[in-house]
Amino acid sequence: MEDILAILNDIHPGKDFAKGNDFFAQGVLDSLDLIALVAAIEARYNVFIDVEQIVPDNFKNLSAIKALLARQGVTI
Amino acid sequence: MKTEITSDSVRQMLLAGDTTLDPLSRLLERNLDAPKLKVSAAPYGQVFQILLNGAHPAWESQPDYLVIWTAPHLTLPSFGKLMRFESASHAEVLREAEQFAEAVLRAAEHVPLVILPTWILPASERWIQTLSWRQDVGLANPLAKANLVLAEKFDGTTNIVLLDAAYWQASLNRPAHDPRMYAVAKILYSQPLFEKAAAEIKSVLRGSLGLASKVIVCDLDNTLWGGVAADDGPNAIKLGAADPVGECFHAFQGVLKGLSSRGIILAICSKNEERFALSVIEDHPAMVLRKKDFAAWRINWKDKAGNLMELAEELNLGLDSFVFLDDSPQEREQVRQMLPQVFTPELPTSPSELAPFLASLNRFEVASLGREDTERTQSYQAERGRKEARELIGDVENWLRSLEIEVRASPLRRETLARVAQLLNKTNQFNLSLRRMDEESFWAWANDPDNSVFVFQVSDRFGDSGLTGMASLSKVGNDARIVDFVMSCRVMGKKVEEALLAYMCSQARANGADRILASAINGPRNAPVREFFAAKYSSGEEASLDCARVSVPATIQLTEDKLAPSVGV
Repeated sequence: MEDILAILNDIHPGKDFAKGNDFFAQGVLDSLDLIALVAAIEARYNVFIDVEQIVPDNFKNLSAIKALLARQGVTI
Repeated sequence: MKTEITSDSVRQMLLAGDTTLDPLSRLLERNLDAPKLKVSAAPYGQVFQILLNGAHPAWESQPDYLVIWTAPHLTLPSFGKLMRFESASHAEVLREAEQFAEAVLRAAEHVPLVILPTWILPASERWIQTLSWRQDVGLANPLAKANLVLAEKFDGTTNIVLLDAAYWQASLNRPAHDPRMYAVAKILYSQPLFEKAAAEIKSVLRGSLGLASKVIVCDLDNTLWGGVAADDGPNAIKLGAADPVGECFHAFQGVLKGLSSRGIILAICSKNEERFALSVIEDHPAMVLRKKDFAAWRINWKDKAGNLMELAEELNLGLDSFVFLDDSPQEREQVRQMLPQVFTPELPTSPSELAPFLASLNRFEVASLGREDTERTQSYQAERGRKEARELIGDVENWLRSLEIEVRASPLRRETLARVAQLLNKTNQFNLSLRRMDEESFWAWANDPDNSVFVFQVSDRFGDSGLTGMASLSKVGNDARIVDFVMSCRVMGKKVEEALLAYMCSQARANGADRILASAINGPRNAPVREFFAAKYSSGEEASLDCARVSVPATIQLTEDKLAPSVGV
C-alpha cells in the first residue's frame, strides 16, 4: 500500500491519497493521471492492465487499486 | 547579447502533434532541472494549423520552444496508404514530407527553438521483412527517406532540431507504442518513450542555454583503468585487449577521447603520486588518453572537493559545468556534499557499462542551437504580427485548398444519436449553448415538430474525421433560432464551422424564417464559438445573423445527404 501511495504522490505531490474514496470525482486525479498511474503500476508490479480495465472505477481509491492488482495475482 | 539564465526562470513550451501529447507535457513540467518549463499541449490534430497560422490560439502563450511530434502515417497521407498496402508512391510520401518541412520552416520564423522527434513506427508495422526496404512497397524505405527530407530541409537552420526518436525507441526495453492508450485517449506512445523523450528534450534545452557540462574530471585507479597502479604495478593494471575488463576500460577511454574531440574538456583528480601516475598515462601501451588530452590535473593526497575548486579556477569555468567521475562512493559523497553544483553521478558497477553510461547522462548536448536572447524574442513577436497580416493567411488558404475538405450534412438519425449526444456533452470550445442532455431527452427534443437537428461528417485527404459537427434549429414564431452549434476541436482551424453555419442558414431560409437568431452562452472555455458568431451578427442587431456574412468557404465542398428521413420539421 505504501508503494501505491508513493506512486500516487509522485503523480500528484501534496495530495492526501490515503483518505480519498474517489480520486476522480474529488478532482484529485484526471484522465491523464489515470494513464500515468496505469504505466507506473505496470512498471512497479510487472503486470499488464488490459484496455477494458483502464477505467476510473478501477483506480478511484486505494481499495479499488488493491482489488485490481489482486485480480492480477498481486497482493499488496 | 546573452541573457542571464537563472535556475528558476520558467520558459514556455508548446507541444503540437497528431496524437495526444499531454503525458509528455506533464513529464516535462515535472522535470525540475533548468530550464523549468510551463508546457501547453495543443489539441491534437492541429499541427498544420499551428505551423502555418501565427494567429492560431496555441501561439498565445508566446512559447520559447515548440515541440512538434507527429506520426508518419497520420501526417503523411500517402504513408498511411502504404501502411494499409494501398497504392501510393514513395515519391508522393516525400512530396508530403517536404510540404510538412516547409510548414515547420515557416513556424520556425516566429519561435526561438523548434524541436522535432523524427518519424518512427511501431515495431509491429515492420514485420514483412522481405518487403520492408523495397521501393514503392515497404515502409522502412520511405520512412528513412522522409526523415532524410526533414534533415536536409532543416540543414542550415539554427533553430530547428531533429531528435532521433528511433534511438529513443531502441533504447527502451519496453514497447515505444501502446495500442491500449491509443484506444483510451489517442496517446500513441508508451509512458517509457515519453519519459525518454522528456529527458532528451530537457537535455537539448540545457545545451541550448549553455547549461550543458563542459568538463569531465576523472579519477584514475578503477575509473580510467582497472586496478590500483601503485599497488598492482603499472604493468598489472587492467587496460587493453589482453583482458576483458581491460578492454572495457579501453573502450571507456575511447568515449572520453571522442568527447574531448567534440570540445569537452578532460581533467584528472586522483589520490596518487603525481609523477608516477603521469608516467603510467604516458607509458602504458594501451592508454587511449595521454597527458596532452588532459587540460589540467590535480594528482595529490588532498581532498577532492578542494582539488575540484582549484581545477575550476585554473580552467576558468564554473563548477556547475563539471562532471566528476570517481569509482569511490566515499569520494563521490564528499564531493556531492561539499560541491553540490558539480554533477557527480553514480558509476555503473560493471566496467562493461562504463562506455555506454556516459552517453546516457544526457549532459553533453551542443550549445549552438537556437538564439536565446530576449531581444530576439521581442523581434519575433513583432515579426509574428507582420507575418500574420501578410503571407501566413495566404499560406493557410493554400494549405486548406490542398486538404480537399468535404463536409456532408445529414439529418439526425437514431444511429447517429449516441455520437451526437457525446459531442453535445463533451464539447467545450466550440459549443454554442453548452447544454448537456442525455440521449433520450435529446432524441425527444429533436422529434418536436418545431425542432430540427443536423449532423456533419467531415473528411479530407488525410482521412475521415467522422461525425464531428452537430447543429439544431428551433422555430420561434416567424424566426428560426440556432439552439445548438457544436463542433469537435479535431476539425477546428479548417473553416468547417463556416460551412456548417452556411448550411444551417440555408435550412432556416428554406423553412421561411424571417430572422435567424443565435446567442452564445458565456462559458469558461467556449470563446472560440463566441468569437465566431460575434463576427456574423447583423450590425446593430445583437444575436441576429447577417446571412451576407455567412458562406461556404471555397476550400470546402459541402454536400447534403437527403436520402434519410428527416427528423422533426
